[in-house]
Amino acid sequence: MDALRVWRASSHFIGFASRAACAAATSRASVSVRIRCCSSSSAASAAAAAELPSTTVAPANPGRRGRNSSSTSDRESIRAIRLKKANSFPSQNSSFFSYEESLLPLEIDDELVEELRSKGHEPYAYKWTRSHTACQLQDIYSHLANGEECKEDLVSIAGRIIARRAFGKLAFLTLRDDSGTIQLYCEKEILEDQFEQLKTFVDIGDIVGARGSMKKMEKGELSVCVKNFEILTKSLLPLPDKYHGLTDVDKRYRQRYVDMIANHEVADVFRIRAKIVSEIRKTMESLGFIEVETPVLQGAAGGAEARPFVTYHNSLGRNLYLRIATELHLKRMLVGGLEKVFEIGRIFRNEGISTRHNPEFTTIEMYEAYSDYQSMMNMAEEIVTQCALVVHGNLDIDYQGVQISLQRPWRRETMHNLVKEATGIDFDKFKNNLEAAKGVARGILESRSENNDSHLVETCPSVGHVLNEIFETIVEPTLVQPTFVLDYPIEISPLAKPHRRQKGLTERFELYICGREIANAFSELTDPVDQRSRFEEQIKQHNDKRATLVSNSKYVEGENTFDDYSYEVSLDEDFLTSLEYGMPPASGMGLGIDRLVMLLTNSASIRDVIAFPVLKIQH
Amino acid sequence: MADGIEEAANSVSNLSVTNPPAEEAPSKNALKKELKKKKKEEENRLKDEEKKKKAAAMPQSQKPSSADDEDMDPTQYYENRLKVLASVKAAGGNPYPHKFQASMTITEYIEKYRVLNEGDHLKDVEVNIAGRIMNKRTSSSKLFFYDLYGGGLKVQVMADARESDMDEVEFAKYHSGVKRGDIVGICGYPGKSKRGELSIFPKRFTVLSPCLHMMPRQKAGPGIENASVKKNEGKMASDVWVPGMTRNPETYILKDQETRYRQRYLDLMLNHEVRQIFKTRAKIINYIRDFLNKLDFLEVETPMMNMIAGGAAAKPFVTHHNELNMKLFMRIAPELYLKELVVGGLDRVYEIGKQFRNEGIDLTHNPEFTTCEFYMAFADYNDLMALTEEMLSGMVRSLTGGYKIKYHANGVDKDPIEIDFTPPFRRIDMIEGLETMANLSIPKDLSSEAANKYLLDACVKFDVKCPPPQTTTRLLDKLVGHFLEETCVNPTFIINHPEIMSPLAKWHRSKPGLTERFELFVNKHEVCNAYTELNDPVVQRQRFAEQLKDRQSGDDEAMALDETFCTALEYGLPPTGGWGLGVDRLAMLFTDSQNIKEVLLFPAMKPQDEPLTKAESMENKKIMSGIILVSLLKDCLYIHFREASKDRENTLLICTIVEIWILEKTRLASAQIFWPRLISY
Repeated sequence: MDALRVWRASSHFIGFASRAACAAATSRASVSVRIRCCSSSSAASAAAAAELPSTTVAPANPGRRGRNSSSTSDRESIRAIRLKKANSFPSQNSSFFSYEESLLPLEIDDELVEELRSKGHEPYAYKWTRSHTACQLQDIYSHLANGEECKEDLVSIAGRIIARRAFGKLAFLTLRDDSGTIQLYCEKEILEDQFEQLKTFVDIGDIVGARGSMKKMEKGELSVCVKNFEILTKSLLPLPDKYHGLTDVDKRYRQRYVDMIANHEVADVFRIRAKIVSEIRKTMESLGFIEVETPVLQGAAGGAEARPFVTYHNSLGRNLYLRIATELHLKRMLVGGLEKVFEIGRIFRNEGISTRHNPEFTTIEMYEAYSDYQSMMNMAEEIVTQCALVVHGNLDIDYQGVQISLQRPWRRETMHNLVKEATGIDFDKFKNNLEAAKGVARGILESRSENNDSHLVETCPSVGHVLNEIFETIVEPTLVQPTFVLDYPIEISPLAKPHRRQKGLTERFELYICGREIANAFSELTDPVDQRSRFEEQIKQHNDKRATLVSNSKYVEGENTFDDYSYEVSLDEDFLTSLEYGMPPASGMGLGIDRLVMLLTNSASIRDVIAFPVLKIQH
Repeated sequence: MADGIEEAANSVSNLSVTNPPAEEAPSKNALKKELKKKKKEEENRLKDEEKKKKAAAMPQSQKPSSADDEDMDPTQYYENRLKVLASVKAAGGNPYPHKFQASMTITEYIEKYRVLNEGDHLKDVEVNIAGRIMNKRTSSSKLFFYDLYGGGLKVQVMADARESDMDEVEFAKYHSGVKRGDIVGICGYPGKSKRGELSIFPKRFTVLSPCLHMMPRQKAGPGIENASVKKNEGKMASDVWVPGMTRNPETYILKDQETRYRQRYLDLMLNHEVRQIFKTRAKIINYIRDFLNKLDFLEVETPMMNMIAGGAAAKPFVTHHNELNMKLFMRIAPELYLKELVVGGLDRVYEIGKQFRNEGIDLTHNPEFTTCEFYMAFADYNDLMALTEEMLSGMVRSLTGGYKIKYHANGVDKDPIEIDFTPPFRRIDMIEGLETMANLSIPKDLSSEAANKYLLDACVKFDVKCPPPQTTTRLLDKLVGHFLEETCVNPTFIINHPEIMSPLAKWHRSKPGLTERFELFVNKHEVCNAYTELNDPVVQRQRFAEQLKDRQSGDDEAMALDETFCTALEYGLPPTGGWGLGVDRLAMLFTDSQNIKEVLLFPAMKPQDEPLTKAESMENKKIMSGIILVSLLKDCLYIHFREASKDRENTLLICTIVEIWILEKTRLASAQIFWPRLISY
């Protein structure tokens, strides 16, 4: 890496230098290239390329071939060569001249000394007007018979060259744009002088615009018979090897664009993602919901239990937290009389990264007045099935080898029953006997889970927490087909309304598909007095946990466990005040968009559905 | 009749609030009514106690009322309501029912039944509607009137004991406990009063969520206010505010800005126009989305937290990721990431999202704000100007039906101006325009010392203030602000900015030293910024290097180098046009808002001032008067010395130093505060 850095620096130097003084730059550049090149073949090619400006086109050809053979093995030299090509315009000690230069068309064609720019080919063009995309051409001209040409239509196309085969008087280029690929058929007879240019200057990775007529080759490949072309952008770095692809996982995420150039299906994930989000929006709007934006920076981070990011606002002179949920602000909207609201937005949690977690992720939260969690279950079914239909066209999908049926209705079962089903133990019988519950839970966890998780229940402050631990370790992974888990214990649901019939439970559900929580919803707690005491209880629990972890060093496994609770949780007084003004009975749901996209695009990791995931610092 | 009661209520609410209410001095004109009311309250209170005992027997919903409200101290009102709530709960009742199945919204109800004739009663129809009570009028113990609001519209509720499922005693008790602000569900039949007011006649009436606070009440005032309130009553969208019309928050029921912004829900409850602002905002965003989707743009999401805050020049927010032990910046622009996606082959992408800048809060700035940025491969800035015209004029037309909007550019007390979005928009070439307007001849090489000197002189000549650092970029910016932006009331493109001002824009294809860039100004404010993207990695690195120079010379708003981005450019970015739009600014224009806080649901607010203790405020007064005395002293000194020396500048300097010295010695203020002032001399 360091070597690369050094190289970059020197290659820039070449760039500047060549602009500053052509003659000097030419010699200096070739020297640098020689120093940097590792393999002899590329050294030769580099040398050839370096000499290009001062020689005729002919010697460029062997150089060309040499480059091809080493195209992925020595990216540094290629960068140098390409940079050279792109910048081989005459002595320009101020950047001003280049504009004038770029204006000149082919007049100075004969001055073969200066390559691209001097030939009037600005290596970074301003604009290209396309008549069609590759995919459109493939559709429109699919009827052509082999060998047939449609001479009367002149088409114009632009995209990146991803493959290139050049022969004496013929060249085949494969061009890819947003929509797909198409072959460019280049003949010396048609292109005349431009043909040599093409052979000399167009590399794999370059972005090229071409005009010509459509022809289906003898072998059946639809092609554009190029009449003229233009290099729109010169690529300075080689694309990853086509056959081995971009296998370096880390690099795939760090340089997403390279991943997208090399693996076309990567971009499809983001196309589907856009479709899903747009479908959700459409569904919400058709139901009369209005989209709002609530603040990311907040005085107190509430609405969920998670460590928030802290930042500092200079002119206000105070700490602000990045939101960990949009819940509390959206509920204020219900108080204000907007009866159906939603927000699709980014949430931030200062937690570890994994295949399921990224510090920033996207959710939709929706709130509807005068409804309860039953109606939210229908809403969840509606949204997920609509999205699945848009993406797959049917409701039976495959996720990482598992068949999932999204046919409605989905299973609805209470948490207690699910735990009872899996373990045979009815947690109802413990009432408030925490110690008895813990004892049983320890037993279950010791016998059922591979890595001994029995310590998990030790810090649980209530039977509800114990039940939740058992549920998460034992039941959660088994919920493969879509399942609504209903009626969570009140202790772990500080914002949900008490169940209208069952004491100690709340009207809350979580939706699980493939063992993952996709959505979380409840009949919203509207009683300000109850809400205040729940918040206070939550804060107490948090502080207790923190205290135990500090004092009880045996649970401190490294710093992380301790760290989990080292932040402050504060009471959102403003929210409580808004509840005191009266919030209509309502239900709300939060749905993780990233996880839904993972499910519908069959992606194993959240990093595959986020364009630029957060990664560890590179060493 | 209703009006009479209204009047009484108003006069009561105007009384000074004392505690307990029984000892209150009654006002002259409301004396009789007041006494009557007191009597009734007394009765009610007795009834309450009775009821509390009874409550256990009647779990459903008996809501004992406490003293009749409007003349009560807000804190006591709140405490009373809490007590009532506790007693209902203690009796096993649930003051917060889980669900009320509304069969239609109030908007739908009005739409459906507004055609009824006066006096019509559709007794065989049953509807369920729910909303918030914003007004209560008691006619007798058997007849109560309420104004029920939902979706910004009002329906009258005429609760008559004869129609109710409850018996008369129960009915009277229940309704005396219903308060202004409560959310209720009503099952009843529609009808119109003889006066033509659309009403609902409840059979069942349930409080769904009590309001524990006293609702801010509209004060009886000049006729305008009542008119503006009346506007929404029982009528349909036709006379409701629509985008492009003027708005005057001074006429709102709830006027206090602090309360409106901090407790937006109260603002929405009481000022019905406000919901239209946020609906307009949602419409603007939807319009942009539709417009771009139709052109095959792909909506994407890029990170809001980065290792480097790039893509613009601004102070970022800094935060820290604990587990990765990593410093992260909140994004100030999504530009670099979006361009990386174009490199990756997504030819048309856009993102509508929040940006964050760690800057002061004022009428047009909030630390987080929403922008739309799009990138379009194979297009240049000329294409984007055409697109911009099409998008904005189309948006204005779809929102308002025409191309012109009204805007209070000079404050709500002055006449509004008209802004015309008819395309094409005017175009001004930045440097040429500046030279013509100010009669200047700016040196061609703007990066030279000579150019800096020239512009500095120009600023002095025209008295254009430019606080240090006085880089050429900043000087130009101030001059353009002074001469060109001031003329841009109707949408106007200022085009072809110099390279030094636009590190990410491509050099102009025919004009040396300039870039292919435009900014769109409407009402003198920048709304859009776009350019043909710089895609030459070598030149890009050069530009970053120049920015670094500016940074070193003290302009901390210069851009930082993003190595990842430069590497991406080396893989080849196709010729691309990039475009950014400030959504909040646009929303301000279309909702006649002069303050950005009007269009943000929860704007960032300064921390609420804790009320100063008496001692502190005394101390403050002393300091203030001390400072005033010293500055008077300085002025005397100044006048005195000026006579003697004639050297104005130096005299002022000496006097200021003396002033600061005195202030420092008397510990009235720290000299640090005055350093900027000293430097400016």
